Amino acid sequence: MKIVRFLNGAAMLVSVGMAMAQDIPGSKRPSVTMQPPEIVSIYRAHSGTVELQFRIGSGFHINSNQPKQEYLKKTELKLDAPTDIVIEKISYPEGVDRSFPFAPDEKLSVYSGDFAIGVMVRPLKTVLPTKYAIHGRLNYQACDNAACYPPKQLPVSFEVKIVKSANEHKKRIPPQSPHTHS
Amino acid sequence: MKRDPVILIVVAMVISVMLVFGIQKARNSSLAHNAGKLQGQLAPDFALASLDGKTLKLSDYRGKAVLLNFWATWCEPCKIEMPWFVDLQKKYGPQGLQVVGVAMDDASPKEVAEFAQKLGVNYPIVIGKEEVGTQYGGVQFLPSTFYIGRDGKILERVFGLVSRSEIESNIQKALAQQGQVAQE
Repeated sequence: MKIVRFLNGAAMLVSVGMAMAQDIPGSKRPSVTMQPPEIVSIYRAHSGTVELQFRIGSGFHINSNQPKQEYLKKTELKLDAPTDIVIEKISYPEGVDRSFPFAPDEKLSVYSGDFAIGVMVRPLKTVLPTKYAIHGRLNYQACDNAACYPPKQLPVSFEVKIVKSANEHKKRIPPQSPHTHS
Repeated sequence: MKRDPVILIVVAMVISVMLVFGIQKARNSSLAHNAGKLQGQLAPDFALASLDGKTLKLSDYRGKAVLLNFWATWCEPCKIEMPWFVDLQKKYGPQGLQVVGVAMDDASPKEVAEFAQKLGVNYPIVIGKEEVGTQYGGVQFLPSTFYIGRDGKILERVFGLVSRSEIESNIQKALAQQGQVAQE
């Protein structure tokens, strides 16, 4: 029994050691990935929002879109929309105020784990109803508890399906006339 | 079955030593991966523009112990240790220490200068270039600090932010190095 308890203790020690080794700067690389987004249908001449989900690798954080310190690199989504599709607004989540071992008295506004960015898209009335791809990049700069990694760009891509609105359909139905010949 | 507590303590000690060794090995393997075998080698020389518009050559400091610190304005941990470097430059400068900062930044030299001024930096800062980082094994994260002995050889490379006492201890080791000035 004692031996089992001892081995359990030893295993715990090894786990702690491995966790410490993981914390060594440079033993892991920061990663930010985007989850495959759903295709959102948006009516012509109307606004629709696409939610992009991102995941930051464990043990890392990135600055929020509004970092508290002026020299820090903010997380920012840059998009290149096709002609006649307007990116009306990009909504970032609020950062979480956290202090880190390197500056316990200072709060930084950061994202860690999962976060979502909302993109409000408005296709103009003239856009042909079909699927459109919107490309861009997420600019971010990651740190762990002891070191920071150079700013990076994550390629971002998602599709929107532009559809005719119900009103448009109604307008296009020709008036029924008793004089119409088939 | 009764276990001898002495044996248990010995086993625990062996495991602890293995742990420390394992962590050290992880640190070294990551260092070896990124920096190659720079330790014990002559520090790669460079000539970079300093914030006062002059060109600073690392080899100009041969005969001094050099703390070469790669940093950036966007690096919060770098900001923590820079005031320590200021103090340590004051303390050990008369003994032959020279701190040199290499800004691996996309900010303009003017912004870097303003940032350094705010932190009261009293040592030269040069604007870094990618190729200089590559010469030093690829500076993939910041801060990265190299301790160079008076003979121009790299004694130690440190990843990320460490304690002030560890920095001071490395400075003392670099200052204690009284080897011959190496010829390139």
